[in-house]
Amino acid sequence: MVLAKEREPEQEVVIKMSEVESMGLQEARARADTYHRYHIDAKETEDLWKIPRRFNVKVGKFGLAKLIFKEFFKYFGHWETVFSRPCTYGVFSGPVGGFLPRPDLCVGCLRCEVQHPDFVTVTPNGELRALGDKYLTWQHISTIDEEARKGGVPVRGQGYRGRFGGPGFDGMFTDMSEIVRPSRDGIHGRELIGTQVDIGSKPMHLSFDSSGNLLNQPEMLTIQVPFIYSAPPKDLADDGVFKIMATAAAEIDSMALIPVDDVNRLSLGGANVAPIVNCAGCDVPKGTRMVELRSWNNQAHSELSAKGLLVSVAISMSEDWRSKLEEAIDGGASILHLYADHHGMDGEGGFLMDTLAEAHMSLVEKGIRDRVTLLGSGGVAGADHLPKAIISGLDAVGLDHALLIAIQARLTGDTQNRDSATVQLPKKLDIDWGRQRIVNLSCSWRDQMLEILGAMGVREVRRLRGEFGRSMRCAELEAEAFGDIEGFPGGDA
Amino acid sequence: MVFSPGEPKAPTAALMEKTLHLMHDGLNARAFGEFPKPEALGDARWTDDLILATWFMAETGEVPENFNYMTGRSNGGFDRLDFKFKPEAEWLEHGEHLDTKLNLNRREDGRRQLTPDLPIYGGGMSYGSVSVNVMMARARNAKRWNSFMSTGEGGYPPELYELKENVITQVATGYFGVEEKSIQATPIVEFKYAQGAKPGLGGHLLAAKAGEEVAKIRGSVPFVSLFSPFPFHSTYSVEDHMKHIDWIQTVNPEALISVKVSTPHDVDMVAVGSYYAGAHIIHLDGSYGGTGAAPEIAKKNIAMPIELAIPKVHKFLIKEGVRDKVTLIASGGIRTADDVAKAIALGADGVVFGTSDLVAMGCTRCSNCEGGPSGRGCPWGLTTTDIELKEWVQEDWGEERLYNFYSAVQWRLRDIMRKLGLDAIGDLRGRTDLLRYVAGGDA
Repeated sequence: MVLAKEREPEQEVVIKMSEVESMGLQEARARADTYHRYHIDAKETEDLWKIPRRFNVKVGKFGLAKLIFKEFFKYFGHWETVFSRPCTYGVFSGPVGGFLPRPDLCVGCLRCEVQHPDFVTVTPNGELRALGDKYLTWQHISTIDEEARKGGVPVRGQGYRGRFGGPGFDGMFTDMSEIVRPSRDGIHGRELIGTQVDIGSKPMHLSFDSSGNLLNQPEMLTIQVPFIYSAPPKDLADDGVFKIMATAAAEIDSMALIPVDDVNRLSLGGANVAPIVNCAGCDVPKGTRMVELRSWNNQAHSELSAKGLLVSVAISMSEDWRSKLEEAIDGGASILHLYADHHGMDGEGGFLMDTLAEAHMSLVEKGIRDRVTLLGSGGVAGADHLPKAIISGLDAVGLDHALLIAIQARLTGDTQNRDSATVQLPKKLDIDWGRQRIVNLSCSWRDQMLEILGAMGVREVRRLRGEFGRSMRCAELEAEAFGDIEGFPGGDA
Repeated sequence: MVFSPGEPKAPTAALMEKTLHLMHDGLNARAFGEFPKPEALGDARWTDDLILATWFMAETGEVPENFNYMTGRSNGGFDRLDFKFKPEAEWLEHGEHLDTKLNLNRREDGRRQLTPDLPIYGGGMSYGSVSVNVMMARARNAKRWNSFMSTGEGGYPPELYELKENVITQVATGYFGVEEKSIQATPIVEFKYAQGAKPGLGGHLLAAKAGEEVAKIRGSVPFVSLFSPFPFHSTYSVEDHMKHIDWIQTVNPEALISVKVSTPHDVDMVAVGSYYAGAHIIHLDGSYGGTGAAPEIAKKNIAMPIELAIPKVHKFLIKEGVRDKVTLIASGGIRTADDVAKAIALGADGVVFGTSDLVAMGCTRCSNCEGGPSGRGCPWGLTTTDIELKEWVQEDWGEERLYNFYSAVQWRLRDIMRKLGLDAIGDLRGRTDLLRYVAGGDA
């Protein structure tokens, strides 16, 4: 049994009321100062390679020269007016002004193009828009890059710019509450919202011996964020990536899944690394709390559990995932890690949200939901996917491609299927740089999770698991709103 | 030769003359299609056509022939709905006899009867998030339509008092600039519980935009970030909400009360609760609405789009037997006259325009309202109080563009009404039988 309290950073401090009462002011202050509120330390970390700019700016030199010539006489003596240009971002601030524009600074306000339609054009940069694919879009990639660079919550003006609802995770809206908040401080008490999750099994009831000693303690560990780092593609045997994952997971107190051979070879073992194993015979480093079994194996599961390890069982969401899930549960598995492909699809063409909800509800119906932890990976490409996957039934979410994009890996080829994408990493992959990028991404996604939880008035992320009632499906709302309108598919008009 | 953006300072007369001339000519040329559509303009909700059509309407007061001024291509909601027009032979004459008025007080409680000429009024944009010039342009346009414009949560700049009969005083969670004087001056007090673009998250005015004038009016310290918390810290129940309304009604017994909420799962219950607390107007702000700054995650994901909330609330108010005693206003993604008519057909009485007003005055929806990398605010002079940039929107010019735009909207509303065989916009309310859902393909 491995409990969070055995770990150094979260060591519990138990203070009895009688001690408090006998403390002097100074001692009480010193004791209070030992209180540690969970915090991820984000630091701006520049790109190793510049992500393609958003816009290209083309200025007709003849047109600009003509304008300057004309204004030279019109505003003679008012040189600031003659040389003023309609850009507050510095696109025309180079040594020769508009003759050599700086498109990297362009934000697409289009004032220059509107004011000077005869010689300025601003166009979307095709190089940026070529990134990604139909699921993992260029917007996801550029957003993840920004989040990994700055560690903050992306904030912009104007309203939503995209399609109405949409497929996959876009088909779900999260709820909000007009007046009920997690604390009297409102959303600005968001730091009081808990993002800890438990991985493992909780007893359905407590048992005591005749002396009152607890017989069945929970067999679980606690991580500080509702996401873990899933293993990178098999072909990407890059030591740097493994080291980045392990160090970042340790820093934010999450869990990195890394093949056991690599864990041992690189000495990455520790409380925040879960080696991926095939069998019970694998050596796992001292301090390991959890391992992941590549597929269900009753004997291996028993032997690993007997060593005091928590055992996650990987289940590919291929056609027969239901029977595999059942078999593992019946065999006593307490942590199940469901893997969809990188577009969030299961083997039957269903999307992750629906498949997870089905898995979650099957556990609820069996009456064992709290005995089992559900992890899920695949298709999590944006911060909003995290709460939506949890609402769909997960305890914690596995991040995969998002991690690679955060460290500026370029993915080409088929990015949908696991292990088939070609991944090109930055040439000089610095471990500290990569760790901070992943830490920044984690900070940003956690903070965005807090925005969602705060808006709902939910005090901790554990309460969000399987809370379908705190979400709204676009398709269902449309049926309710438009069902009586002629032409609505499936409507009654 | 360095064309540097430089330090902000008040523009000289020469710079004003040059910039306004170029800007106005440029907007005009684009509106009339003299140049190809800018490739980088527009998005799924506000397409290049919609933006250029709005500029055309703001220039001319008429609807354009060459741009789609009716729908975007968001593939859902308003963009999937169309009208079931009657055969041409049954169309009514287009003209002023087609009534577009909106009744804002249905409670028969002896308070003011306010009936704007259009089923539209202006949504809250606070002083600080926009300049006084923009506020004045909107308020002056509202006056011409016998309508209103909300202050947003930023206080009541003194210039607005001359138009007080057309200005709604907003009371929001930060109580910035809320004064007895501004509550007593207004015909409508709007309680803002939430904003559609960032429901449940409150507001945040960046330090750079909270300059000396803004801070003075908001009763704060210059160049310090201002947070509007969420929710009202004095409101945790409908009973608390009723106390709020009692307080306002004590200060101004004549004012109508509007309650602005976003669109959660239980928006129908919230609406009914607000009615019983004493509201004259229930204002629903959908999730695809505008904002000066909001977390991207909030805009798309939290709460529901307005198209889905309107029928939910409308039907529930009918079921509760109070539908004809309260005015239901919709906002958050209402872009065009067609959207207005569709919102009404879905069950609203009227709508609030926000982004459309800004687009009419030149907004390209570049999303840099808070300033982007420059930190100075909107380069078009709309969402800024920067000493130079704010001058790019002059009150007269803005008012005229808005008036023209609203004129075109009214023309199109009447066009829709006559083709549906209706002579009063109120008769369209809840008439989903006059709508058609356009399924399949991209819309």
